[in-house]
Amino acid sequence: MKKIYKKLIAIVLVFLAAGLLIYPPLHRWSREHVNYITATDNHRLDCFSCHLYTQKTGILAKLVNADYYSPFNLAITNDGKRLFVVAEENNSLLVVDTEKGKVTEKIKVGTRPHSVVLDNSESRAFVSNQWSDNISVIDLETLSVIKTLKTGNGPAGLALNRDEKYLYVVNSYSSDISVIDISTGNEVKRLTAGNNPTGIQSSPDKSRFYITSRRALLRPYGEPVTCELTVVNDSIKRVIERREVNSAYMMENIEFTSDGHFAIMPLIRPKNLVPSIQVERGFMMTSGIGIVELKPDGRIIQMLLDEPNAYYADPFDVAITPDQKKAFISSSGVNVISVVAIDSLLSIISESSTELLDYYANYLGLSSRFVIKRIPTGANPKGMILSKDGSLLYVAEHLQDRIAVIDAGKMETVKTIDLGGPERVTMARLGRRVLNNASGTFQNQYSCYTCHPDAHEDGLVYNMASKDMGRNLANTQSLRDIGDTPPFKWNGKNHTIYKQDGMRFSTVLTRNEPFSDKELDALVAYIVTGIPYPPNLMYNPDGQLNEIQLRGKAIFERTKDNFGREIPPELRCNTCHTPPYFTNLKMADVGTLIESDDSMLFDTPHLNNVYASPPYLHHGRALTLEEIWTKYGTTEKHGIVNDMTKIQLNELIEYLKSLSGPEYYREENKKLLARIGQHKK
Amino acid sequence: MMIRGRKHIILSLSILCILNSISVSCRKNPQEKLLLVTIAKTGRPDPDFISGKSWRFVDGAQIATVNLNKPSRLRILTGDFHSACYPEVSYDGKRILFTARINENDPWQIWEMKLSTGKTRKIISLSENCVDPVYLPGDRIAFSRHIVNDTVGEGHSLFTCNMYGSNLKQITFYPGNYFAPAVLKDGRILALSRQLTPSVKDPVLTVMRPDGTKADMFFKADPEKVIVNRPRETDDGRILLVEKYKGSDSPDNLISINYNRPLHTKKILSSGAKGSFKAVLPLGSGKFMVSFREPESDKYSVREFNAETGTPDKVVFELKDHDVLDLAIAGEYQRPKKLPSEVDLQVKTGLLMCQDINFHGFISDAGSNVMPRASKIEILGIDSTYGIVPVEKDGSFYLKVLADKPFRIRSLDENNRVLSGECSWMWLRPNERRGCVGCHEDPETVPVNRIPLAVTKDPVIIPVHITEVREKSVELE
Repeated sequence: MKKIYKKLIAIVLVFLAAGLLIYPPLHRWSREHVNYITATDNHRLDCFSCHLYTQKTGILAKLVNADYYSPFNLAITNDGKRLFVVAEENNSLLVVDTEKGKVTEKIKVGTRPHSVVLDNSESRAFVSNQWSDNISVIDLETLSVIKTLKTGNGPAGLALNRDEKYLYVVNSYSSDISVIDISTGNEVKRLTAGNNPTGIQSSPDKSRFYITSRRALLRPYGEPVTCELTVVNDSIKRVIERREVNSAYMMENIEFTSDGHFAIMPLIRPKNLVPSIQVERGFMMTSGIGIVELKPDGRIIQMLLDEPNAYYADPFDVAITPDQKKAFISSSGVNVISVVAIDSLLSIISESSTELLDYYANYLGLSSRFVIKRIPTGANPKGMILSKDGSLLYVAEHLQDRIAVIDAGKMETVKTIDLGGPERVTMARLGRRVLNNASGTFQNQYSCYTCHPDAHEDGLVYNMASKDMGRNLANTQSLRDIGDTPPFKWNGKNHTIYKQDGMRFSTVLTRNEPFSDKELDALVAYIVTGIPYPPNLMYNPDGQLNEIQLRGKAIFERTKDNFGREIPPELRCNTCHTPPYFTNLKMADVGTLIESDDSMLFDTPHLNNVYASPPYLHHGRALTLEEIWTKYGTTEKHGIVNDMTKIQLNELIEYLKSLSGPEYYREENKKLLARIGQHKK
Repeated sequence: MMIRGRKHIILSLSILCILNSISVSCRKNPQEKLLLVTIAKTGRPDPDFISGKSWRFVDGAQIATVNLNKPSRLRILTGDFHSACYPEVSYDGKRILFTARINENDPWQIWEMKLSTGKTRKIISLSENCVDPVYLPGDRIAFSRHIVNDTVGEGHSLFTCNMYGSNLKQITFYPGNYFAPAVLKDGRILALSRQLTPSVKDPVLTVMRPDGTKADMFFKADPEKVIVNRPRETDDGRILLVEKYKGSDSPDNLISINYNRPLHTKKILSSGAKGSFKAVLPLGSGKFMVSFREPESDKYSVREFNAETGTPDKVVFELKDHDVLDLAIAGEYQRPKKLPSEVDLQVKTGLLMCQDINFHGFISDAGSNVMPRASKIEILGIDSTYGIVPVEKDGSFYLKVLADKPFRIRSLDENNRVLSGECSWMWLRPNERRGCVGCHEDPETVPVNRIPLAVTKDPVIIPVHITEVREKSVELE
């Protein structure tokens, strides 16, 4: 009771203090304070935005935040009566009665579920749990989890093979495919996929599986951006083809026409190699679809969903009607479902040479020939499923906690199903919507999500030509838990997220009206409170380091080199890369400047989950962690490494790969600080 | 002291509340919509679309309000002026900007009027004619001003200033005219531009940011027609225009183009109408009003437009011996976006990158229409060349051009023979960065994702005889 009493007093005092700040003489001080934080002179004076909505823990955090469902992917029974909704943030599978329009059951599954698939008899559902590296097998009669199957790292897309003996699981973080024998629950094969794969579909005859990737294949900056579409033969359970999709990435999903002649996948065509000098005329991002011809020597034809003055950012899922007349694409960044007339697509393809089709991949005028409707939806439409007869399309409105039901014939929303999440939109939730919506960018060309999918990063290096073109390349950085690691940007010019995403951001990046004060407050609240790291289950599954990693840790913390010489403190790894974020939040010169850089220091990057962020260094030239030292660390400004053996470097790398989210290292940081304190004494 | 102060505050608040309630009770019926019209006597000389006479400068015109519920009630708002025309309503619906002159021989200037009181104030007071004002988000306005100078010769350029006429900035630098600007919902200015030098060309609709950057063609009428009205954007993503046949008595067309794809979505709305249009006013829900004159009539009157039959139907308002030249609704509407500006007046140059001068769009049947590859470009100023610059192997070039100077580019072969004629006039604002995909390419084409070779080197300064530009060093963001 006493504790609660104290907390209440504290809250009252905070409110009183906040109230006092509004009135002179503290008003001027608070104005100056807000000006400093926001780097503007007109942001609203609202103490809550910084000091309340950004609370991560405690009673205040509980008061201002809420737990949402965030529906992500869907499955439906053959009779269309039961819809299964993956609730990404609720770690559950929701069972929806489509006739009543109500959630009838909530089945707890693993962490961050991604996809759901039903078997043919509709007796079982399989749910991939992206953050717990397993599959929940659910008995659809008892509506309970009956088995958990172990997978690779970050299971996402799922597909059953023809006889339903095997489950193919796309592991999005380890970039491979687990083939699981359902009867034993054992993984019988692990196949290498493209970079960050998520989508999988079997061809209509079930002989092959097509797996789409999101990140481009790792290649030096300047080489064409290429993303892999992996083809697996089910009978031999081997990858039989790796098709390179040029100038595209973020191929989130794929769907086949029922005749099996071709498949459609959403994709983004980035312009990261072109200096980012304007948004007009598609100079930054374009979004479209890839049409995969399944005949021998079939092509992958790309067409844009965008129009000259209107862009349809972040295409996510695709659904094709059984009669092959229409394809629905969820453009998650603009809250729109684009309806594609497949006959029109086919006639464009049949009447055009391959060269003309290549030209069309960069032509904004084409979509008016095949897009027949743009259906508005709630916030952030993601996964979709058509009823078996193709009459109704169900859309997961990810950040609306709602399912939209669209009449596929009339191409109109006929109903929405509320999943029962909180009605209020918290600041962090609003911020997540802002981050995932492209309306902040001129003509909706891209959202924050486009370059920061899942609030992480897209693995591309951009020429952000705010000064000169062709210079000062920038490797996209992750937003995960970034709130506590100021300054921001590689050059550390922005001391707060407010400055990072404020006026200058709109001038050089979104080239649109800046975010409103409320939007910016919300964005900050989300970035500071809502973007945790996924657990590093691949390299550090139980929080215990293995022997190699322990040896690597010793190297990371060493004070003497192999010859017994004292390593100057500024050249020790853990001087600059201090836990829990493995950054000392300071600028440094680690000898990585290249000829196209202006002379500058670089912000020490955080290293949590660093394994998931290739390429490395500000220019992204280091494609692997090893290359940081073997290719770009020869001056010994970036730590003393030249005395190390190859094995020692490997051990250091293994340790770095083991780094997880900051919560694992807070105690370690305390110990380190204590040690430094003792040393000083 | 404290108690007295508190009493004063309470008293002031009470008075404010009473005044507010009085003003609310006195306010007009909110359903009562006022139509703002520009009227002028019939029988004026034909408009000159180049000088703007009798088109943008309408001698003797007046601005009036018409109550749409009682159209017979006309109230002249600008009786104190010799001429006044083309009102533009503020976003809150409380004020209008207009072009006017008090005496017959005064230059045309920009004025603002508070609609509730009729009180006017002069915003622009210059010796040259200034017309066609529009509100910009952020308490600024844009307008067209007659200028004569060495840079652009004689013509009308667009300027912006704040609401008190100060902080005047020219935003177009073009040897020609800019008239009839409108502000799109996306925050850009859409205006009618017409090249006058070295030859007079047909007008095109040009779009640009409010700081004059990223100026680009938005729409062009067919060769035998011209656009003659201020563009009007609808709530459903269309832009309404009046198209007139050049030197012909053929009926005008009321047309729409889609904002999303303006170059290829032209639709004639007035297929059933025979006559002339002066103006069009979107009313929401796909409805609009027009100022229309039938062939046998002597005046333009306000009519509802029947979108189904493509004809102006019911007469809403007409005035004996007077034309209605322009229409606006005195009401609140959505503020366009306030776009940020990259212009830095301490920088003297802008940067231009072209990805491939040899890219002209898709060319079918390789060999039949293939142009020889350009290996150089020539940059032409108003009356002299700014120099010849070699292009990179991939056809790219990267220029640092003195800002606010019009220039054109043509491509040359290695023997300096012209391969492709001059492009349209361009200019770069200080610190503007701009890119193009190719040469005379389809404007609906986006760049290929590759590094242009030219940007791996320093830009070439234009004019080429300048070896160094001393200017503010732009900081890395």
